[in-house]
Amino acid sequence: MLSLTIRSIAIVTCTLLLVMSFACNSTPKQSPEGPVTRQLTDDAGRRVSLPARVTRVISLAPNLTEIVFAIGAGDRLVGRTSYCDFPPEAKAVAEVGDTRTPAIETIIGLRPQVVLVSTASQLEVFTQQLQNQHIAVFVTDPHDLEGVFRSIEQVGEILGQKEQSGLLVRKLRERASAVEKAVQGKERVRVFYQLSGEPLYTAGRDAFVTDLMRRAGAKSVTVDVPGAWPKYSNESALAARPDAIILPTGGSMGSANSEVTPALRQSPAAVQGRVYKINDDYLARPGPRAIDGLEAMARALHPDAFK
Amino acid sequence: MIGTTRDIAIPKIRQNRVTLRKTLIYCALLAAALLLAIILMSLVGSERLPTRASLCALATLGTNACGLTQDQFDILFQIRLPRILLAAAVGGSLATAGAGYQALLRNPLAEPYLLGISNGAAVGTMIALIFFGANEWVRPLLAFTGAIAATFAVYRLARGRAGATPERLILAGVIVTTFLSSVIVFVTTLMDATRIRSFTFWLLGDLSGTSKALLPVAIVIAVLGALALTFNARSLNLLMLGERDAFDLGVEVGRVRIVVFLVASLLVGSSVAASGSVGYVGLVVPHLARLSLGSDNRISIPAATLGGALFVIVADTVARTIIAPRELPVGAITALIGAPLFIYLLKRA
Repeated sequence: MLSLTIRSIAIVTCTLLLVMSFACNSTPKQSPEGPVTRQLTDDAGRRVSLPARVTRVISLAPNLTEIVFAIGAGDRLVGRTSYCDFPPEAKAVAEVGDTRTPAIETIIGLRPQVVLVSTASQLEVFTQQLQNQHIAVFVTDPHDLEGVFRSIEQVGEILGQKEQSGLLVRKLRERASAVEKAVQGKERVRVFYQLSGEPLYTAGRDAFVTDLMRRAGAKSVTVDVPGAWPKYSNESALAARPDAIILPTGGSMGSANSEVTPALRQSPAAVQGRVYKINDDYLARPGPRAIDGLEAMARALHPDAFK
Repeated sequence: MIGTTRDIAIPKIRQNRVTLRKTLIYCALLAAALLLAIILMSLVGSERLPTRASLCALATLGTNACGLTQDQFDILFQIRLPRILLAAAVGGSLATAGAGYQALLRNPLAEPYLLGISNGAAVGTMIALIFFGANEWVRPLLAFTGAIAATFAVYRLARGRAGATPERLILAGVIVTTFLSSVIVFVTTLMDATRIRSFTFWLLGDLSGTSKALLPVAIVIAVLGALALTFNARSLNLLMLGERDAFDLGVEVGRVRIVVFLVASLLVGSSVAASGSVGYVGLVVPHLARLSLGSDNRISIPAATLGGALFVIVADTVARTIIAPRELPVGAITALIGAPLFIYLLKRA
């Protein structure tokens, strides 16, 4: 009796699924904005097919949202993550979850032509699902300031704003080289970047901020540590005797990470009062405001170079 | 009646003396091994310290720097040694709690994790971290409260008409564990990305944030807890025969059960508050103790305490040196060593 019921339910379900799949197949597989006309290679090395003109875009990272607005295409952004809080206009755009768990149904419902993501991690299944819906996924993965400029140019190309993105990159480059010129010849300050205090995390070889520190006239004491954000040994931090400590805090972090970790309280940096709090949004987001972070770090580490 | 009591009393006293001597010998051996491990493991780390000078400084208990620079001295006494002592306290606490639960429930799989008590403590700690930030005193207090609440929930869920059978207790534990795991997942999903990294690390068990205020608390609780359970070891031995038989032999079953549950919760709460969830210690170490020294709780409980301390000290040394200057969570190492070891023990038994 019971097995009969289960079997009939199974048959009905299968039939329904079959009918539905046929129904889906019968609708023409064409994106609403016409045929695919161009292909771009993203940072994951994937060939991404894009419609000629992109009018609906979703950003799944705060730095990409900032880039879309900075090149004057904010009006075409139809979705963003809950972390995308800059510029203030971005908050008017629909939310599609956070960077780790974006809501796939909401994204599809917003009918974007392109979804911009930063780093391909954890998005394998997700990307496949979107591609099945004829939504292009473009992956950016900047590891240094050049990578940020590349991201800006890529987004400019995708959205047909090449002129604006080119202009933005030129301006940012000028500011970056002004900083590098000012700190040129200055002795590099040995810096410890404290991403979080307890447990202790820092910026490793692959972190984008490591490149920013180099350009700001600093030498990160953890520059050779593999990975982007490694958990770091307390005793190695103490033994490194940094001359300055950078605490990214005050932005999205709020008041978190505003104190030096116990292992570094007797370090030359802490003793001489060379502990600098810099807005974490500038340093953690590889977007246009990274240059603000670069300038803030350089001014903190080499005040005499900016008189 | 009186005659028979006297008849069995004499060999029993002799037997007790033998057990006491055996316990003291094994505990002395294990304590010596523990002391040796503390000294040896404080000589290794991500930074190289001069061995001779370090040994000299350790021998004088830090009163003489023996030629160590200020930084080296700080590394040894401010960072390494406190962390090793915390590892010992956490390992001892978890293994003692595991041994206590296993004896009380007559179930070799009974363990703080399986019963949901660790998760209760983890939820308590999480609440403390979210609402009270880094306050050192609220954390263990709420962890203990969480452990007690989870224990109470398991106990009430398990109590049927026929009393709390071991099977029902384990099942109730599984239910509470999975429920609390969902709570943890739910809360971590709500937390923002900047805090999630450190939190997931902590959930796996991490000894790097050794707090000066928590360390003495954790050590005192570990020692007192181990003593309390060892003093109840004879009752636990009788309880292993069955609650009815134990009751007939004069064991206050209800009192012993409450004492063991409270003490074990306290042990789990203090260790989770200090280091997050370090797994497998409460399962593997008491097993190892019973397999090598027999199932007399008067020996196996103190042996498990010392063995657990030893186990976590070694595991944490691996965690902090194997990819230095980066670090792994100690829980990953205890699970990597513990899971295969446990399978081996199960196959052999």
